Amino acid sequence: MAEKKVILKIKRQSSPGQPAHWEEFSLRWRPSMNIIICLRDIAENPVTRDGKKTTPVSYDSNCLEEVCGSCAMVINGKVKMACSALVDQLTQPITIEPMTKFPIVRDLAVNRQFMFDSLQRVKAWIPIDGTYSLGEGPRVAPEIQEKGYPLSRCMTCGLCLEVCPQVNSGNNFVGAAIISQVRLFNMHPTGAMHAKERIRALQGEGGIEECANVQNCVQACPKAIPLTESIAEVNREAWKQSLVGWLLG
Amino acid sequence: MSSTATRPDTNYLLRKLHSLSGIVPVGAFLAEHFWSNSAALVSAAKYDEVSRDLQTIPFRPLVEWAFIFLPMLYHAGYGIYIWIRGKSNISSYPWVGNWLYTTQRYTGLIAFAYIAWHLYTQRWLTHGKSTYAEVEQFFTNPYFLLFTAIGVLASSFHLGIGIWNFLCKWGLAATVKAQRAAGQLGFVVAFTFSLVGVLILISFRLDWHPFSYYWQK
Repeated sequence: MAEKKVILKIKRQSSPGQPAHWEEFSLRWRPSMNIIICLRDIAENPVTRDGKKTTPVSYDSNCLEEVCGSCAMVINGKVKMACSALVDQLTQPITIEPMTKFPIVRDLAVNRQFMFDSLQRVKAWIPIDGTYSLGEGPRVAPEIQEKGYPLSRCMTCGLCLEVCPQVNSGNNFVGAAIISQVRLFNMHPTGAMHAKERIRALQGEGGIEECANVQNCVQACPKAIPLTESIAEVNREAWKQSLVGWLLG
Repeated sequence: MSSTATRPDTNYLLRKLHSLSGIVPVGAFLAEHFWSNSAALVSAAKYDEVSRDLQTIPFRPLVEWAFIFLPMLYHAGYGIYIWIRGKSNISSYPWVGNWLYTTQRYTGLIAFAYIAWHLYTQRWLTHGKSTYAEVEQFFTNPYFLLFTAIGVLASSFHLGIGIWNFLCKWGLAATVKAQRAAGQLGFVVAFTFSLVGVLILISFRLDWHPFSYYWQK
């Protein structure tokens, strides 16, 4: 009996400026394989389907349990986390491409620095340090904890940016993940002390106004974060702050 | 500009204005327009009476420019600017919201083209004097009737989807449940406006006045 195989077509690019090309690989099938396992198999024996020696495929991955957010790729035309993309649930040959909304580093590895810069821009943290002890902050009501927990699962994977028509090279839109983080930190009683600054940061270029309510983000989010609810809430705070604030202070 | 500045960027305000202008005054005018034209469903005389009342409102040019023409021009112009800054990916991700996003852009374009022609033929050439007999005559041309029907449907659905977008984007419908309800409301508006618009067209075309018995009582 012939051995069961997994056929992969991977889009490769040796460095940012280089042209991309496709390589096919044929791997030995095992139960419960995911895409990361496939890429590891290739690294062990970097030979294409037609027997040519090649280099191991570059990609980012870390936790292998869909919490670190580093292994997003476009698999069979749809962006997914490679660690939770199971071979048995995918049509073969499986095509794997890098995400399109971020600069390519090499092969499937992309640079998501834009997202980290955006988090910095909106001050997505809670300031707890000063030049002296600031003491204990206010307690967080259980209701806020319950609302905040799902938002805190965001792993900055970039899926919501990849599927958003409003995120593209002609448009600096920060994307759903960052807006949702603003909601998370603004609902925290200590974080709320900087709520206005975060909202204001989202009213600049590429800010919340670029959202066109397509709602692809919430469909794609691997952590089931209520992104559209976050965008709506932050949108409400934003116009209240700017339009009502202008009238009533 | 630093992020600690208190004033939002111009882009933010222009985008908010675009979103708001679609509801008030543009959407509100569409509702008024369909309402006034529904007079045709009562009788030719009623239509002419409503038409004369509208033609003789005080400050008419000012009202037309400030509440109809300029807001529509702004809404259309900025809408096209928004369109070209997005990059559709409907083939990779054919989700409902993505379809609505695309539909919203094409219905907007069709509605704008129709309204430009509508204004030229029925506001500019007529010098703003509309009578039942003239409109009835206008619709004897089947192509004019067809283009008007397309314009009515495009405008109605653009408003319906726009209401959904507006309620979500201003955070008035935030939860998943509320946003679903907002979508249903948008659909009801789109459907109702389409139906009323088509009924008015049928009224002119077939000289059909289902509410004429109001007169006879």
